[in-house]
Amino acid sequence: MTNRMQGLESACKEYEEDLVLHYYGENSEDDRRRIAQHLSACERCRVFVDDLRRVLPQMAKAEEMPQSFWDSYYRETVAKLAEQEERKYWWRSWLTPVRGWMVPAFGTLAGTVLVVGLLFGKGNLGSFVERPSRNIPQEITADSNQLEFFSTMDLLESLDKLEQQDGTQSELQKTHSSRVTLYKGIA
Amino acid sequence: MIEPQNIGDEELVALCQQGQKDYFEILIRRYMEKAFHIAFNFTRDTETAKDLSQDAFLRAFANIKHFDGRSSFYTWFYRIVVNLCLDHARRRGRVSWQSLDDMGDEPGVQQQLADVTFAPDQEAMAGEAKRKADATLEAMPKKQRTAFLLRNHQGLPIADVARVMKTTEGTVRVYLHRAVAALRQSLVEFV
Repeated sequence: MTNRMQGLESACKEYEEDLVLHYYGENSEDDRRRIAQHLSACERCRVFVDDLRRVLPQMAKAEEMPQSFWDSYYRETVAKLAEQEERKYWWRSWLTPVRGWMVPAFGTLAGTVLVVGLLFGKGNLGSFVERPSRNIPQEITADSNQLEFFSTMDLLESLDKLEQQDGTQSELQKTHSSRVTLYKGIA
Repeated sequence: MIEPQNIGDEELVALCQQGQKDYFEILIRRYMEKAFHIAFNFTRDTETAKDLSQDAFLRAFANIKHFDGRSSFYTWFYRIVVNLCLDHARRRGRVSWQSLDDMGDEPGVQQQLADVTFAPDQEAMAGEAKRKADATLEAMPKKQRTAFLLRNHQGLPIADVARVMKTTEGTVRVYLHRAVAALRQSLVEFV
């Protein structure tokens, strides 16, 4: 069986890299001359370059897609871009309904609600201001009494005062008891 | 008045950066085929190539303000496409190099393949050899494969390949030579 495929021949080792660059036209002018000179004398390297010319373009052959594919590709990409932009500025969608004409509309609505509220609430406005004390729950009243109690505790500001007060009282008691003893003695 | 199609890449990019984003659509038209083909060379799958290349446009558009013009737009854009393809391959663990025969299931592609006619001496890359070459490409280190695909399949000059890959021209030459050498080795059995 004859194989239709022909592989790449090996080239002279020291020239191989230069031959690849030569195929791609990426050699300097000096290298190009040197390679051309070598190729004219070396059959192996000539075959190598011929193989590159035969094989590499076939590998690079791009799939040709129909025009409809590219049209669809373009449309999809533009749509994806728009979607990406939409996601990027998602907060704009919140502001979008607030258009120019909606500002006075909301203002009018708010004004109307206020006027209606005042009209129907007229004469009953005091109920919002003056709250009857009887409505205050007992627990709160009890708490307020406790607060009054605690306000008298302001006198006892510190332990020092307490101790001082305590010391003065004991001295007074001593004085008092000594006076009582004295009076008893006199009597 | 200059037709939009005749405006250069740099000018289009500048217009996009100024907020006239409709001009980006001209860049899409200009580069969609190249972007798709790069992605297809990496993935060998039409739908994946379409998604990846479209994603590259979306990313380019999202980052257009960061493009500083130190390289050409297409170098910058090619880099985005290649990186996406390599990321995709990494995520999948391997690149799916679907053979031409396998792609015959798609009606449109099948018709295209039927339309392609090779002269007898141009049938070198047909059938088994083509699959072998694709498998060799798949097995190549990613930098070698990228350099080879960009130079051989996309026709980018080595200087541009180096810019896309952010490496030196000397390194690209080495990658290219190694890639061709690997292909030669893989195809030697078909002699």
